[in-house]
Amino acid sequence: MKLIVAGPTGAIGHDGGAYHPERQARIFSVMDGLRALGLEDEVIYPATPKADLSDLTRVHSAAYLAELETFCTRGGGDIDPDTYARPDSWNAARRAAGAGLAAIRSLEEFDDGVAFVPVRPPGHHAERDRAMGFCLLNNVAIAAASLTARGQRVLILDWDVHHGNGTQSMFWDDPNVLYVSTHQSPLFPGTGRAHEVGGPHAPGLTVNVPLPAGATGDVLRTAIDHVARPTIEEFSPDWVLVSCGFDAHEADPLGNFALSGGDFAELARMVNEFTPRQGRLALFLEGGYNQMALQVSVTDTLGALLGLHTHPSAPTYGGPGMKEVREAVAGRHRAIEQIQTTTSSVKGDR
Amino acid sequence: MNATPTIVVGYDGSADSTAALRWATQLSSAIGGRLRIVHAVGLLERAGLLADHFAVHQETALGVATEAGGDRERIEWSMVDGDPCSALLRMTVPPESADLVVVGSRGSDAHGASLLGSTSLELAERSTIPVTIVPPARENENRPPV
Repeated sequence: MKLIVAGPTGAIGHDGGAYHPERQARIFSVMDGLRALGLEDEVIYPATPKADLSDLTRVHSAAYLAELETFCTRGGGDIDPDTYARPDSWNAARRAAGAGLAAIRSLEEFDDGVAFVPVRPPGHHAERDRAMGFCLLNNVAIAAASLTARGQRVLILDWDVHHGNGTQSMFWDDPNVLYVSTHQSPLFPGTGRAHEVGGPHAPGLTVNVPLPAGATGDVLRTAIDHVARPTIEEFSPDWVLVSCGFDAHEADPLGNFALSGGDFAELARMVNEFTPRQGRLALFLEGGYNQMALQVSVTDTLGALLGLHTHPSAPTYGGPGMKEVREAVAGRHRAIEQIQTTTSSVKGDR
Repeated sequence: MNATPTIVVGYDGSADSTAALRWATQLSSAIGGRLRIVHAVGLLERAGLLADHFAVHQETALGVATEAGGDRERIEWSMVDGDPCSALLRMTVPPESADLVVVGSRGSDAHGASLLGSTSLELAERSTIPVTIVPPARENENRPPV
């Protein structure tokens, strides 16, 4: 299978200072992880031009984009206690979004392989008209919207330790996108409860499984299997995009899950089962702030997808969260029934 | 409006948020309302914390409110995951359903008319309930709010 790497876009000018964890060095670690695969010249690196405004406005408001560009042009600054922009951040964010679009184009061109998008700034917290959580533009959402614009059905599976509030809100009522997230709760950004299941035109097409600190790989796999799999199989996606945050690793400083590199390998194999065929899977880097964990996790995830013998660390078992998985199933069913009842009563009133 | 008016105030320990907390406390006391002090917890704040980080935050906030004449029985401190704007907006809808949001003015003039970087301006833009932005000068005047 081919490995397409759309990037890296290291965004040198997008720098939050020595103590900010979302930094250029993350990309160095990711690339070390890629080199450890030993593929060398077999990796395909497509050109990654900046995304056009017309690509961005599918998910972001024109007013927000203009505001962000002006903010950066005027020197940038702190957008909130977590999120910053610098003079080059507008271009860096457009390059990151453009890399995702390049990954999709390459997969279509080769009709084979898996694409990895190692970019920063990350994207899944960015909402239609606001930056937050280190994110300026929502890279995975921009790629997904480019596909739905052509009638494709897209599964976005988000295994970052934080809930992807931006992605969820952008596709809340879109029947062509299924958003699935496993995430730690309580934790930033405070969204992603099990009863958040989508809007009236897409009931059930948002799947949230909030899990407690200490959750191990078996818990996430069970969550995907028991809570999400039935909906994914019924949805039958044409494409699978992964918000691939490695901050669910046990060594990450911003999250408290207990996953190993081997767990990401297992998750990657599961996700691959949801693709309709080769050449329809792309993984977008989101979080991950421990350099060594990032490197190992990239190697193990991509090694698993490519069928390489990379000797990942052992998957983890026995952490808390199975009760929350069961609760998610029940809470989700109740919420979907409520939407359907409301919708049918509104129709009945007409 | 709630039978007992509920005021939510954002407090992060900064000088501007301290001014907002004092003003909100005085207003709450004057109208016999409930005061909910919200500390928004972002991505970075949970990393590398001392064990008593949030306890210190809570103690400081309640201390400011008490000094401003607040009744501890009617004051609640809570931390809410999210960026400051989202965390405060969440307090304006059920089940919290606050009647008024109070914030300091920090950032409101740092970036011109841009909403980026300004919790107060963004709140004013998005909130469906009244928002009060307390300027630092207001605190220096040391006048009651009503």
